[in-house]
Amino acid sequence: MLEKIIELSLKYKILVLVAFIAISAFGYKAYTEIPVDAFPDITPKQVVVYTESPGNSAEDIEKLITYPVESALSGMAGVKLIMSNSIFGLSYVSVFFEDSMDIYFLRQLVSERLSAINIPAGWGTPVLGPNTTGLGQVFWYQIKDTTGKYSLRELKEMQEYVVTPLFKSVSGVEDVIGWGGDEKQYNVLIDTKKLQDFSITYSDIVDALQRSNQAAGGQYLEFNREQYLIRGAGLYQTLDDIRNTVVKSMKGQSITIRDVATVEPGSAPRFGAVSIDGKEAVMGMVLQRTATNAAKVVERIQKKIETVNTALPEGVSVETIYDRTEITHKAVNTMTSALISGVVLVAVVLFLFLFELRSAFIVILSLPLSLLIAFLLMDYYNLSANLMSLSGLAIAVGMIVDGTIVIVENSFRKLHEEEGELTPTKKFNIVYEAAKEVATPVTFAVLIIAAVFIPLLSLDGLAGKLYAPMALNIVFVMLGSLLVALVLVPVLILLLLKPTGSSENVVMRSIKKAYTPLLMFALGHAKSVLIAVSILFIGLAYLLSQQGREFMPELNEESIMYRVIAIPGTALSQSLQTSKEIESYILKNYSKSVSSVLAMIGRSEKGETAQGNYMEILLTLKPNIEDLEALTNRMNEDLEHHFTFVQFVPTQPIAMRIEELLEGVKAELAVKIYGDDQKVLDGISKEIQSAISGVDGLERMEVESQLGQAQIKITPDYLALARYGISVDEVMDIIRNGIGEEPISEKIEGIRRFGIVAKVKGAKKDAEAIKKVTLRSKNGALVTLDQICKVEIQQGASFIKRENLSRYMVLSMEVEGRDVASFVAEADSIIKSKVKMPAGYYIGWAGDFKNMQEATQKLMIIIPITILLVILLLYTAFNSVGKAMIILLNVPFGFIGGIIALVMSGIYLSVSAIVGFLAIFAIAILNGIVLVSFIDELRLKFPDVNLKTVLKDATLLRLRPVLMTAFTTLFGILPLLYASGVGSEIQYPLAVVITGGIISSTLLTLLILPSTYLLFYGKK
Amino acid sequence: MNKLLLTALSLTATLFASEIPLAKVQMHTFNKSVALNAQVIQLSNAQQSITSLVSGHLEAYYVKPAQRVKEGQKVALIESIVVSKMSADYLSLKKQLAAASKNYDATASLYKKGMTSMQELNNQEIKLSKINAQLTALESQLNTLGIKADKLTQATANFVLYAHSAGTVSALLKPLHSSVSVSEPVISIVKNQAYYIKSFLPLEYATKVKLGDKIVVNYADKDIITHITQILPKVDEVTQRVVVLSSVDEKVEHLFLNTYLKSTVYFGDAKEYPAVKKSALSFFNNEWVVFVPNEEEQKENESKNKQEGEEESIPYTLEVVKIITQDEDFVGVEGLKLGEEYVSAKSYYVKSALLKGSLGDGD
Repeated sequence: MLEKIIELSLKYKILVLVAFIAISAFGYKAYTEIPVDAFPDITPKQVVVYTESPGNSAEDIEKLITYPVESALSGMAGVKLIMSNSIFGLSYVSVFFEDSMDIYFLRQLVSERLSAINIPAGWGTPVLGPNTTGLGQVFWYQIKDTTGKYSLRELKEMQEYVVTPLFKSVSGVEDVIGWGGDEKQYNVLIDTKKLQDFSITYSDIVDALQRSNQAAGGQYLEFNREQYLIRGAGLYQTLDDIRNTVVKSMKGQSITIRDVATVEPGSAPRFGAVSIDGKEAVMGMVLQRTATNAAKVVERIQKKIETVNTALPEGVSVETIYDRTEITHKAVNTMTSALISGVVLVAVVLFLFLFELRSAFIVILSLPLSLLIAFLLMDYYNLSANLMSLSGLAIAVGMIVDGTIVIVENSFRKLHEEEGELTPTKKFNIVYEAAKEVATPVTFAVLIIAAVFIPLLSLDGLAGKLYAPMALNIVFVMLGSLLVALVLVPVLILLLLKPTGSSENVVMRSIKKAYTPLLMFALGHAKSVLIAVSILFIGLAYLLSQQGREFMPELNEESIMYRVIAIPGTALSQSLQTSKEIESYILKNYSKSVSSVLAMIGRSEKGETAQGNYMEILLTLKPNIEDLEALTNRMNEDLEHHFTFVQFVPTQPIAMRIEELLEGVKAELAVKIYGDDQKVLDGISKEIQSAISGVDGLERMEVESQLGQAQIKITPDYLALARYGISVDEVMDIIRNGIGEEPISEKIEGIRRFGIVAKVKGAKKDAEAIKKVTLRSKNGALVTLDQICKVEIQQGASFIKRENLSRYMVLSMEVEGRDVASFVAEADSIIKSKVKMPAGYYIGWAGDFKNMQEATQKLMIIIPITILLVILLLYTAFNSVGKAMIILLNVPFGFIGGIIALVMSGIYLSVSAIVGFLAIFAIAILNGIVLVSFIDELRLKFPDVNLKTVLKDATLLRLRPVLMTAFTTLFGILPLLYASGVGSEIQYPLAVVITGGIISSTLLTLLILPSTYLLFYGKK
Repeated sequence: MNKLLLTALSLTATLFASEIPLAKVQMHTFNKSVALNAQVIQLSNAQQSITSLVSGHLEAYYVKPAQRVKEGQKVALIESIVVSKMSADYLSLKKQLAAASKNYDATASLYKKGMTSMQELNNQEIKLSKINAQLTALESQLNTLGIKADKLTQATANFVLYAHSAGTVSALLKPLHSSVSVSEPVISIVKNQAYYIKSFLPLEYATKVKLGDKIVVNYADKDIITHITQILPKVDEVTQRVVVLSSVDEKVEHLFLNTYLKSTVYFGDAKEYPAVKKSALSFFNNEWVVFVPNEEEQKENESKNKQEGEEESIPYTLEVVKIITQDEDFVGVEGLKLGEEYVSAKSYYVKSALLKGSLGDGD
């Protein structure tokens, strides 16, 4: 079949040329149109259900909202995991599904289930979270007022009613979330003492306000053949309308709201704030819809900003704070520049080896063509150009040309050997023969490279999502290169290549001179050399197993961000003050490097589980900072030293979101303690802490405290209530509406809506004031809250986390200087023997470690299968198990260099490094195939010659292509080793491993493989 | 346990030495007060009705409603036949008395001369004293009606009503020119200085107030000081609260009856307790605590400082306190010694430093 393809392409050469010109054109078009992104979409299939339940405690929310929601969703098809967090005022349930399911279908299923849930009236309605990815916050902006005329409340109004709708209309935008500022509401401040004066109750007032704010339609009347519509316009227009609302009338006199309350605009209780450079501000975050492209969405938003600014009052404008495209472009730039310099380096290497313009041109031409084919395929499969997919191309750059090199080299050699005049028919035949000869090994080599990366495609979760695009792209570009090598290259050879004089240049000659004695030595001491290398490999393999592991190298986003955590129960105002202090501190002490500091405190409007004690601080850095790492370290230390009462966790914008996606636990290693009672969990966590504190390698242990939220608990005293004739709901109403400020009606101003709140005057001065809130029963009895309720202050939960319907607590730890897996084994057995768990309580290990472990376990199955597949391919190619084994033996030799490089550079073994080893696997096999197939060819040609001589000649003859493929791969990967931009650190371990691996694999291929061959076949 | 935790805590001096204020536990007088609802009332004896002592015809009012009157001021005029008859009778009796007196004098001189009998003289005397008695009775009756008998020269029907005490005319009860019967109220006058504040107290306070305790009401932006004069034995049926009356001692312009006011009761027996500032309180492990400097640790640090000179740690320890009472700024507590130093504000930061270790890493 391969021969047929080569023959046909040679026959219809013009057609082939035209076809490739067309492919190039389309490929270029695809290249310009491919969506660009910083990262592949790593979000798990997840549907979030959140229920805002203002003013309610974590305990009640868990009981009345979270649990019903969880249990309704738990029986669904494809559910992997349900996690929830109940915090003050919010229930957050997150359902993780199998990745293969369609998100729109899942959302549909979830909302069907939600409709069946019964949540008590007044406790909120569960809604689906925005359909966005975890990295969906692509654009952050600030509503900036340069005039100083507008209050935060007004800016917030602009954000909600001017900016949000405009941005929401941009294609690809799922939602816009506001953060910071005050929300306006109208306070009806009721003096409960006056209830007695007018013989009314609190609920009379609430009823009156609700009844009076009404509109109605009265259909129409016909008059003189025309239609007149009838409208009842009873909605509140002015504050005086509210004040004049009749509460009760008696003896012809009316009691109005004015008599019992004052009405004034105020601010709703808030759960989040934003401060920029020491001043409170209003910001918004644009969420991109799932399966849209961040760069394109942001581009459209940027265009929309102009419209938004014209809609805002003069002096107020939208100002960008954070823009995902910036990092995207940086990451893509890192990768494209690595790709381009790789291409250039490879071209130079090729030229140096071939020392002949025409053949060099053909090989080099195959590079961009294969890349363009890869882009075509990416476009077809909707793969975005991102850090990972582009790095796939960069890794493959050196391997792309391998097939072409082999074919060109073979043709070149054959043309050179041909004596006499070269007629077109003769040339046709020579080229056809030359191509045919190597077509099979080249094809199998490419297929094997593709096969080697298949394990990456099988990875689950985050690793799979990250590395699959890389593997796919390697496959794409290798297939492209195969197409080029088999179809276009023979045509080009036929058209361009001319037999020339000696193809041997100075470089090659001197290399051969040095290499020959070495080879002879190796062939002479085949056995001992093989044993020595094997021992070296085993030693190194042990070293590798001792190497530290990490799941993923940290991405350097060239930005500084902190998560700042104060003690649970910290008031928002205190956090705001802390944030402002931190901001001014940073601005004062780092004025050279930092241009602006943004703090986001608490949570934004929708569905986040942060509380008032939680702050996120993002620094905008000045351009051209020389040593970002040093600056970061200095700042970390400085801040920790100066603000001792809060905890700083350095992070970066994208890293932070990724951490949040890691299914709940961010630490490297953590124990999750499951059980019902938080206090018992707390106790167990303490026991575990003391039990394993002595285990070797444990660096740090931390309990995430779920308790510590002071609560003023108001428990109705039923006897007392009965005495005064007051029902519990009256009490709860006054707690919810009068103290908790839940709006009882809305004042509608155009399209804007503002809550009307029947607030008890002075109720929130302090805990005593709550006790003294006065109620009046329908019969007239006047009672204070503490007369009819038990009012006590107690410590309660600040949040309650659950996983698969069970509460849990996290004890996170850091392990250093020791293999995490063995640490877990030891700690686990200690816990099992020393810590007594009550019935219903159990532990589970989690964290980054678990992800790594799962990935490793998966690879343990997939890699042997892959190796089998490779053997099968090799066997098919050579029709011999022995040769397949010889080639496979080459692989460990390749690993030697990889391991040495890894250990020497002190890099942890991460998925990235594993990918590097996979690449070496491919390269080693490629080298092996090239050599073994040629040895076979020579043996066939000269069956009588001594095997040792054949091996020597074959190896020397094949030295150039082997070195060429090795050097091209090496130089293709070098730019990744030296890249320094955003995203380079993710590829660094990979580049290190490959560099080391190529060197050792090439050296050993050239020395050990012939020896092995000799050992295998010498006796026959 | 908490102490243990805290001892392990080391805090940098840069933060705490300059920022965490300390104070000493002091005795503080707690004037307990509570704000209540109250109503301006008047006890029934403060309302005066001026009744007519005679029946008659209401001829004129000398005052208008809401007019302030002095004691003894004319308020109304009633024409009464009774008065007219009485005054006429009085005048006639006066004449009779003069005549009888003359007769007696004449009889007496005749008797001295022996020209008449002793019996005749006695008769004359009886007659005279009879008239005299009638006259005196009538005079006193007239005086009661406010008519000065001795100045009466001719019969009159006018009966003038006078205000019994100073006050404000609250109502003219009878229409002009109507008939008035005996002891029928004609004008009602509200006595000055007779306003009371009726405060409604929840039971828990009612047991603590004493007669004489101060109640301050705010009326038209003015504080009026009153004192408790009565604690009613029955709770108010409707509001289920104990009613306390306090009299308004000072003179208040335009104090309207039945107005509801905010009143603040100050409990008389002020108590003294060792107290800390309210800003020192912190809620910790289900208890109220106050942070105090840990002296032992401090000493240790001082010696350390001499050696190291740089890092200083000032640990605090916590004391569980029981809140006894509180006012605006202070809380009376049990659990701290008088004069003991404590963290008087920013206890949040101390608590933060203590709990920081168990924060986790957010969300």
